[in-house]
Amino acid sequence: MDQKIFVLLGFLAISFIFLSAALGLPSSIIPAPIRILLLLFSLIFDVVAFASRRYAYIMLPILRQHKKKIVLSDSEPYSLSTSEDAIIKMEKGEYIATVYISIPIYRSATEMGEAEKIEFSRQVSKLVGISSDPIRFTAEMYMMNKDAYIQTLRDAINIAETEEAQMMQTGKDAERIEVVRGKLAMWRNILQSSSSAQSMELVSYASISAYGSKEYEALSMAQQKAREAISGIGATFGVTPSIITGKEILKFVEPEYLIPFSTVSEEIEEKTEEEVI
Amino acid sequence: MDETDIVYISLSLIIILIVFGTASSFGKGWSIIAVLLAFLALILILALNWIDFVIVPMFTKMFGMSFQAAKDYTIQKGQDSIIKNVNGLYYATGFVTGNLFSYTFKEEDIEADVEGKMMTAPENWERAVMSLGFPFKFHVIAVGKDVQKIRDEIEGKRSYQEFQLSQALQSEKASSETAITEIKRKISIYQARLDRISAGEKPIAAIMYFETTAVGVSEKAAEDALALQIKQLQIAMSSLNLHIVRVVGRELYTLFKFNFGLPLTYSDLASEFSQEG
Repeated sequence: MDQKIFVLLGFLAISFIFLSAALGLPSSIIPAPIRILLLLFSLIFDVVAFASRRYAYIMLPILRQHKKKIVLSDSEPYSLSTSEDAIIKMEKGEYIATVYISIPIYRSATEMGEAEKIEFSRQVSKLVGISSDPIRFTAEMYMMNKDAYIQTLRDAINIAETEEAQMMQTGKDAERIEVVRGKLAMWRNILQSSSSAQSMELVSYASISAYGSKEYEALSMAQQKAREAISGIGATFGVTPSIITGKEILKFVEPEYLIPFSTVSEEIEEKTEEEVI
Repeated sequence: MDETDIVYISLSLIIILIVFGTASSFGKGWSIIAVLLAFLALILILALNWIDFVIVPMFTKMFGMSFQAAKDYTIQKGQDSIIKNVNGLYYATGFVTGNLFSYTFKEEDIEADVEGKMMTAPENWERAVMSLGFPFKFHVIAVGKDVQKIRDEIEGKRSYQEFQLSQALQSEKASSETAITEIKRKISIYQARLDRISAGEKPIAAIMYFETTAVGVSEKAAEDALALQIKQLQIAMSSLNLHIVRVVGRELYTLFKFNFGLPLTYSDLASEFSQEG
């Protein structure tokens, strides 16, 4: 039986005890104000009993901890499975495995005709009904991590600068020097435009979960469900969805992967400059 | 209101009814106070049943209570955002409902109108997404429902409307033209739903919501940036005619938990959500 029912009955019992005391004890023993106070406690516990329907998860920690910062859980919210193709969460002694499926749709409405647009909307409507198990479809827009790209551009600039310096020293082939200078200007322009604007990327994916008493049980169930979802998505859109593995999953789970650190520091610098100006 | 809600409300009201029935035993003058207290408790219980997402965050804000939902994740005292601290940077995540149902499925009366909406939907979506310069996710949690049960339910509703129509047409007092048109419109909506099920479309239940993350050097900065992003999201999505409401309270915690594991069945999913949005 659900633990919540015991919480309800517990609070109701306390409420009833206070009420019995308020009503049962004669006025000669307990004066009326004290009886009203007992009634007040009874009604408070009655309201708390009702609130436990949806708020048992915070009420019990509040009663136990008596602090302003209530700890509902201090463990990691999930862990990556050993096969690195799912995240695993423990809840009420059961394992929940969640598999993420990439849906590679790269069509834009601007390049669709009227009939194609209607068909696309129909496909989306059909997509949400492919599974009888709860499945979550997500369109995620995140800031691209351009660190590696910017580093590549910087390396290219360094190489071009060295090449230019060497040519200047030897002092021959002016035409080639001009070509290298042109290349250098191009890389610098690309670097400037890349680092001055944020680049966003939109991706689509689905996630599906399964429970199990053992990690491998939950995992194999989730993978089985994912395979069924993949065939449904593939048949609907004519694309080849795939299970997301490794650290790529973090992009869909952790908030810091939505906004890479380099972007944050750039943003903070810009804001500080604006404030100074 | 589901069966569990009815059980909770009935059990809680027993105490209040006892107080109303025995208030006179508190003596002259005090009985009025007892009735008033019971009346207040009754109002509070009813309010908790329908607007708990207003009352509970108000309570936690008043007492300055925050909740640690998992390691590094904190639900703020207003219960409208969840903050992750990563190396001194704060990532605030908030949720807003974004129910597309009203957009695509509610107004099924005129087939051509639906087609028109389906045609403009991809373009409107793209335009809205392109106008946003911050990370966000749009989630659709879908679960297939029992086809036969839904079919029986719709047939029952259609039969009732047909009965209403025949009564309206046969009644001696001429029913207004508007009332008859309204009944006919409802019949055609139910028929359209039955036709869609007959054509192989699966009835589904779906929860749709946006999740957005903002970053800041302090909790306050991150929360302010998040509030701004949510406003921008509301403006951008206004072209899609979405019902957008910021999620607060227990539903925020539920949606946060969905990032690491989805519920298994439709009833599990439905029990998590009630009035909000």
